[in-house]
Amino acid sequence: MALLEVDSVTKRFGGLRAVDGASLHVDEGELLGLIGPNGSGKTTLLNLLSGHMKADGGRVRLDGRDVLGLNPTQLTRRGVLRMFQMTRVFARVSAFDNLVVCGLAMGLDEPAASGRAVELLEELQLAHVMHLDGGQLSGGQKKLLEFGMCFMVPPRLALLDEPFAAVHPVMKETMASFIRRRNANGQTFVLVSHDMPVVVELCPRSVCMNAGKVLAEGPTQQVLRDASVIEAYLGEHAADEVEHG
Amino acid sequence: MALPVNRNFLRDKLAQELRLALVVLACLALLPLGISSPYWLGVLIVSMYFAMLSVGWNLLAGYTGQFSLAPAAFAMLGAYTTGLAAWHWQIPLAIGLPLAIVVPGLIGLVLGRIVLRLSGPYLALTTLAFAEIARLVIYNSIDFTRGDQGLNVPPLVESHVANYYLLLAALVAATLVVYAMLRAPIGRYLQAIRDDEIGAASRGIDVVRAKTIAFFVSCAICGFAGGLYGTFAQLVSPELGLIAQTGIVIAMVVIGGMGTLVGPLIGAVLVYVASEMLRDVGNIQMIVFALLVIVFARFFREGLWGLARDAVAGRRAATAAAAAAKEAR
Repeated sequence: MALLEVDSVTKRFGGLRAVDGASLHVDEGELLGLIGPNGSGKTTLLNLLSGHMKADGGRVRLDGRDVLGLNPTQLTRRGVLRMFQMTRVFARVSAFDNLVVCGLAMGLDEPAASGRAVELLEELQLAHVMHLDGGQLSGGQKKLLEFGMCFMVPPRLALLDEPFAAVHPVMKETMASFIRRRNANGQTFVLVSHDMPVVVELCPRSVCMNAGKVLAEGPTQQVLRDASVIEAYLGEHAADEVEHG
Repeated sequence: MALPVNRNFLRDKLAQELRLALVVLACLALLPLGISSPYWLGVLIVSMYFAMLSVGWNLLAGYTGQFSLAPAAFAMLGAYTTGLAAWHWQIPLAIGLPLAIVVPGLIGLVLGRIVLRLSGPYLALTTLAFAEIARLVIYNSIDFTRGDQGLNVPPLVESHVANYYLLLAALVAATLVVYAMLRAPIGRYLQAIRDDEIGAASRGIDVVRAKTIAFFVSCAICGFAGGLYGTFAQLVSPELGLIAQTGIVIAMVVIGGMGTLVGPLIGAVLVYVASEMLRDVGNIQMIVFALLVIVFARFFREGLWGLARDAVAGRRAATAAAAAAKEAR
């Protein structure tokens, strides 16, 4: 059953259609890859789904209810959590308190939020820096911390925008195993990434966007072999070469 | 690796700051014992008034990241609320002073809603425009406010010493209110909003509600300070709301330590007392404070409080290292 249904969603910036009638669905418990070349509209689509931008048209339903037009706070409280491409942590409070504040905002009481924060810090191997302010962490540690902030209360849907970008391989694996474990327990994810090996490994199904439109959708390996996807990434010439051996 | 047993980083930091704030306030409580000059007692009373404005503004700017340029305007509104209530309707101060909390607080709440989506220079300019409009309305509503002639306000207590302790008690109360807020979830939300408003909204924090509460409490504290100042000076005038007064408050908080509990207290007393000592040199005092604000904002973001804390931490670390080296020998 579809947890999220996106139907003909459009977003224009002046004359540019950043998202141009995109439609897709995300099933309950699925780990969906959202891929496409730079400027294809992936992050704009996530901005629309997480309430950070207002769509110009279309419909988005979560659990069968219209959610297009809700603000980020309302969507977060309905279980749509977003991890950003440009890391967003609270720079002047400790890593531990970064997590606690998210738990409190999602309705946990202080002891529950503290306990959950410690669990996540251990799982994400950040326990040794829990006392450091968010601004004092390395780039990779910030990514892991923001990742943890999305999971203080298990979300209905986690939207991850380039979680592996510029992250040390060890931290990348920590994050990937976290995703695998949660997904095995039924957690639903949309993963935006340029890291194709990781997408292939983690996401059974993917959607490829280009110029704001959905270009191809299906099993990830099949999508990556699609001529239009290869053309979008590498150009027409490369697509011909792949097609004709 | 063993996790730290005590994980109340934010609360411990706050508790440490509160203890020091209470020490500073206790020292302030002892000051009148050594000062008999009515002039210097008057200076200290006014510095208590500015300390309250600093505590109120620091909640908004230092802890929530909302750089308002209207704390003096809200003090003026508080002073006029008490003054007008007594002047026109003979409302006693027992009611007039609580009104100086509620009315500016509610106006602040409305202003907070108006500037909700603004930040940085846009927020600062909008609050500056509000402050000037409020001052000019009072200045020009001569039939109601008596304009620049000012408005007489009855005294609450007579002596300088009593006025000093009255304002000091209000300052203690304001500090405790801010501390209680910062300890509660709302305090964590405010600091998250200060660090990243979009990030805060994306983690489920109701940014609108949190910012509105911060505006209400901050403006209520400033309004109460203005109401009490009016009963001390027994005269309120639109000059209370001048932007230069807000400039002094900003200087006090930045020099003392923005986003800390102790900073505004020490900053307010030091800057105001120093400005009185430099009174003979005229406007040069403002140049000195402006330069200090630039230096502190650029190099010492946590002000004098941060410098003192770092110095103590450095000394402790050096002592511990020396002890470890001695033991190793």
